[in-house]
Amino acid sequence: MFPQRRGVRPVPKPLTHLKCLECGTLNSRPFKEGDYVFKEVEEKCPKCGANRMKIVGIYVEDKVTKKGKPS
Amino acid sequence: MLNFLQVAGQQDLISVISSLIWILFMMIFILYPTFSQRIQLSYILRDLERRLQKLKVMRDEVRRKTVETLKKYSGDGVNVDEELDKLLLSFMIDPESMDPYGIVYKLEHIVNTWEDTFEEHVKSICAKADETWSKTLTNLVEVARGMDYLYRVVRHYYLLGKKTSNIYIVLQIQMLMPQLMEIAEAYRQACYAFTQGQPIGDGVGVLAAAKLVEGLEKKTYQVAKDTIVHELEMDGRKIFVLRAAGPGGAVGKPADGVLKILESEGDRVKAIIMIDAGLKLEGEESGKVVEGIGAAIGGTGVDKYKIEEASKKKNIPLYAFVIYQSIGEAITPMKKSIAKAAEETAEKVKKLISSKVEEGFSVIVAGIGNTVGIGIS
Repeated sequence: MFPQRRGVRPVPKPLTHLKCLECGTLNSRPFKEGDYVFKEVEEKCPKCGANRMKIVGIYVEDKVTKKGKPS
Repeated sequence: MLNFLQVAGQQDLISVISSLIWILFMMIFILYPTFSQRIQLSYILRDLERRLQKLKVMRDEVRRKTVETLKKYSGDGVNVDEELDKLLLSFMIDPESMDPYGIVYKLEHIVNTWEDTFEEHVKSICAKADETWSKTLTNLVEVARGMDYLYRVVRHYYLLGKKTSNIYIVLQIQMLMPQLMEIAEAYRQACYAFTQGQPIGDGVGVLAAAKLVEGLEKKTYQVAKDTIVHELEMDGRKIFVLRAAGPGGAVGKPADGVLKILESEGDRVKAIIMIDAGLKLEGEESGKVVEGIGAAIGGTGVDKYKIEEASKKKNIPLYAFVIYQSIGEAITPMKKSIAKAAEETAEKVKKLISSKVEEGFSVIVAGIGNTVGIGIS
């Protein structure tokens, strides 16, 4: 709604990637305070409905760079 | 009244204009050497002032965020602002190097004392924080301290240049400003990562070590301060995977851990493999895994020295895996390309172990880096 202050970059928000311990389905959601890699959390699997998932990664998506230029 | 054409000796208007232009050129040649530096100086100072103002905004933001976070965990009656100021201005004096004999151990002693004092001070402010959070909060204060110091150094050179009208002082700091602003931006983002306990790029070495042993049967125990070891058997070889204990922000004491394992294992250790984040050159790809020889570890140099010394004494080869990233990426939330490189590195380490270490022998794998947001696998 409000424009960013000039010159100040937005702080990247990481995603938490979870793996269902029952069916192995991978799922992601925005990072929540208290999350850490290899933590087992009680969250519902969107596929099998099981209640145990493990955090397998927390990271931000890479920026897409323009192709055709030396990088 | 003076006739206008008299200026050019009763000539026509074009001659008058050309004479005036000629005089103007002459004045430029006469005045330029005298005033050029002053003009340049004022331009540079104005540019520096603008950037310094931006740096101040960033410093204030990091400080505000740090105070807010510390207040969440502070005990009653603690003046967080005052205590933070003490920490931001705290310092460590390097040992005297005129006689370099034994300097590594003197440096180690001073660094250990400083780290312990710093950590204890943060713990005394944040009495409500558990062990994990107090380590992450210590990292957060270190980020705030780095940002504050950067601002004070730039301000110092700006004011010194202005006071002495010395163009060479301000020119040097102006040339460094783009890199310094990048570092400041990295500090700003690091502050957000540490307030929430998110993994940072520097943690990729630890993440790779954790991925190597994930899901395998192993014995885990503490080997040095904030440092753990996973001991396991893999294809007939005994593997000691050493890393800092997470998920709080810590780097541990990898060298002390390596020395203890070497002491208990004797001559059975046939290789030491180190995994760490490494600085890439501009234009290189982040998350690229490269292999080399030597002790892949940064910091004060104490850990590097001790590992090199021990490996030389026992004639154990040192292999290194480095995951490329920029200085900014190292202290900001981990990027996908870097996180994915951890899995690739773990596979490469497995291959190296099977090709370089014979069955029945042992190998040490050390994952180096900050463990913030990375638990035990």
